[in-house]
Amino acid sequence: MNELRFDDVWFGYGDKPVLRGVSLAIAPGETVALLGRNGAGKTTLTKLVMALLHPDRGFVWLGDRVTAGRTPEQVASRAAYVFQHADQQLFARTVRDEVAFAPHQLGLAPDEIERVVAQALRRVGLERAGDQHPYDLPAPQRKLVTLAAAIAQQPRVLVLDEPTQGLDAHATRRVVQVIRALTTEGVAVLAVTHDSAFVTEALDRTLVLSGGTIVYDGPAADLVTDEGRAKELGLEVPAQVRLSLELGLDGRPVREGDIAAALRRSWGGGRPER
Amino acid sequence: MTLGYLPGSGLLHRSHPLTTATLAAVVSVLAFLLPGPAGPGMLVLALCVIAVAAGMRRVLLTSAAFSAPFWAFLILIHGVIGGDFATAAALAGRITAILTVFLLLLGSVHPGRLVDAMLQRGLPFGLAYLLAATLQAVPQLQQRAAAILAAQRCRGLRVGGSLWRRARAVVPLAVPLVLGALAEVDERALALETRGAGSETRRTALEPPLDRPGDRAARWLLLATVVGAAVWRLLT
Amino acid sequence: MTVRLEAVSFRYPTAGVDALRDVTLEFAPGGVHLVTGRLGAGCSTLLLAIAGLAPHVTGGTRLGSVITLGQDPATEEGRGAVAGRVGLLLPTPWTQLSGMAHTVAEEVAFGPANLGWERERIRGAVREALRLVDLEDLAGRDPGTLSGGELQRVIFAAVAAMDPDIYLLDEPAMELDPEAAGAMYRFLPALARRKTVILATTDLDRAVLVAGRVVLLDAGHVIDDGDPASVLGALRAVEAGATTTVARIAQRAGAQSPLPLTVPAAVARFAR
Repeated sequence: MNELRFDDVWFGYGDKPVLRGVSLAIAPGETVALLGRNGAGKTTLTKLVMALLHPDRGFVWLGDRVTAGRTPEQVASRAAYVFQHADQQLFARTVRDEVAFAPHQLGLAPDEIERVVAQALRRVGLERAGDQHPYDLPAPQRKLVTLAAAIAQQPRVLVLDEPTQGLDAHATRRVVQVIRALTTEGVAVLAVTHDSAFVTEALDRTLVLSGGTIVYDGPAADLVTDEGRAKELGLEVPAQVRLSLELGLDGRPVREGDIAAALRRSWGGGRPER
Repeated sequence: MTLGYLPGSGLLHRSHPLTTATLAAVVSVLAFLLPGPAGPGMLVLALCVIAVAAGMRRVLLTSAAFSAPFWAFLILIHGVIGGDFATAAALAGRITAILTVFLLLLGSVHPGRLVDAMLQRGLPFGLAYLLAATLQAVPQLQQRAAAILAAQRCRGLRVGGSLWRRARAVVPLAVPLVLGALAEVDERALALETRGAGSETRRTALEPPLDRPGDRAARWLLLATVVGAAVWRLLT
Repeated sequence: MTVRLEAVSFRYPTAGVDALRDVTLEFAPGGVHLVTGRLGAGCSTLLLAIAGLAPHVTGGTRLGSVITLGQDPATEEGRGAVAGRVGLLLPTPWTQLSGMAHTVAEEVAFGPANLGWERERIRGAVREALRLVDLEDLAGRDPGTLSGGELQRVIFAAVAAMDPDIYLLDEPAMELDPEAAGAMYRFLPALARRKTVILATTDLDRAVLVAGRVVLLDAGHVIDDGDPASVLGALRAVEAGATTTVARIAQRAGAQSPLPLTVPAAVARFAR
């Protein structure tokens, strides 16, 4: 059973149609990049996932239930959303309280909340920041707090809006690690992003939204190695991919770890210098 | 339903900002000077006419929406319980009149032009800027509040329901709003300082709004109306 | 020297630790100087200290001496002398709007108007600045209707309109999509021929293409200062989390420093 499914969804604001018959399915453990130009309807699509909006026609399925007639609060036990700007949701006095907010709202027992919060903080590398005030942390860590808060909801579907914006390499790596851990647990991840390096590192599949429908659905590796197509979408071919292609590495690896391993192999384990 | 500036080129947009500001001030005073409920009622009617003539009908909808709870409350307290519907209508009418004229002001005067107008009159830059920043903040706060509400609902925050539950929902909604607004103020202060905002030099007025004879006449007329109303009240 | 810092330490008002520790640096006129490090290393604070905004606007305590264009920019006297000669661009476009302009041209004119220039001079400066960022046809638009990328270009023009000697750019492309970000960085080399550009960013894959000199910060200290190849190609930079994607991959594969920073450099070194 798919974790997330759109069945011929139509949606418009007033008489302006934004989504015209969008159909897609995301299985447990799949990691998907949602791409498209500004104004293509990506944010609208994610709002439909969270029941912040409801389709004019068609259905949005979260697991075995449709979002029709449900509110975001009700859907929160199934799906979580990490918004682009952390400061739009941080309000608690400590990081721990912030991360505990959703589990508390969802009615978990106190010891369960404690367990879930500790695990979420560990996952984002903030286990020692539990008692700090969120606003005392630097901006990239604030964003990691909101990620932890979403994980603590124990969602089956995680939606991320520009998750790497404003992050440095270190924090980005954390986000990638978190996503990889979640997918092994069967969580479906949908990320709206224009960071092609992040798409390459963390996501398996790419959906492109244009003119109100999905015009492309394929493996991330195929899209990021296709310069022409990437350019059309306002994406860049990430440096790591260009490196792999220009060095002609065996197997055309696209992820940093795989590229480094292939490089080492190509030097036969010896010194790489000519 | 938006608060804040609405782009347009109607009667109020073309007036000098001080004229519209004078209108707001005069209406506010008249709302209390004129005996109710007929006085405020006439003001509201006059404002409706002005709004339509100025192409700002939307403001009336916003005003109606914001006034409705006051009407309900006052009719309940003064009307149903107190048996005095006239007082209820008078009070509610005053609120509606003042609300409407300020929405018209906010909607037709871009903060920048108000600042230029104030600087033309020799008002200190700091004060003018504070006013403009406050006016500009309103629609922004609205957008941000909506975004915050969406984010917290997605975390399971229940809105609606008992009064107690609603009260508890205020903190996760208000705190990010206030902190975010304050952080923005800090950042903006840095940016503007380097663009000479704090300097002692007298700022050059770029395109001072035209103060036409019609504007001056309108302002005198409005002031005369207030004085006349005050005198009339004193005599009766 | 355009900017000289000597033994500068700075702490924000409510902070428990120094944001800058014993920083001694010089910035010669011209060129793109890159200041980088992990986020939180003090790069933004360094820019604010150079502008005198730290401590003048931010509060806090500063030790040591900062001389920008021959003055201490945090003093009353220095601020007056430096006004309009140091331009600052922050990461988020919309928080830099003056809130008082109802057209793009007015927003760009904000700085020059505050400096008391005559109207003709302002008009000329605005025209030039909009031409620089290729936004002349948006001059009459309401800034509130622009996209993030366009807005950031408007703010850039607004800074350029004052014709400052120093451009301080703090993560100028952070809120921009890849196309707009690339365009923002492409301005810089030409600008740096006549002006001093000090750029703080962790977007090193782009920055390395325009920077002529790199200052590496870690927890408020300067840990390296020199040309990009030797600073960003050192193991130290990888450990500080402040290097390019290519260098990171090369290090992981076992290459020795100085690591290659760009794809062409890596191909030249590793291709068989």
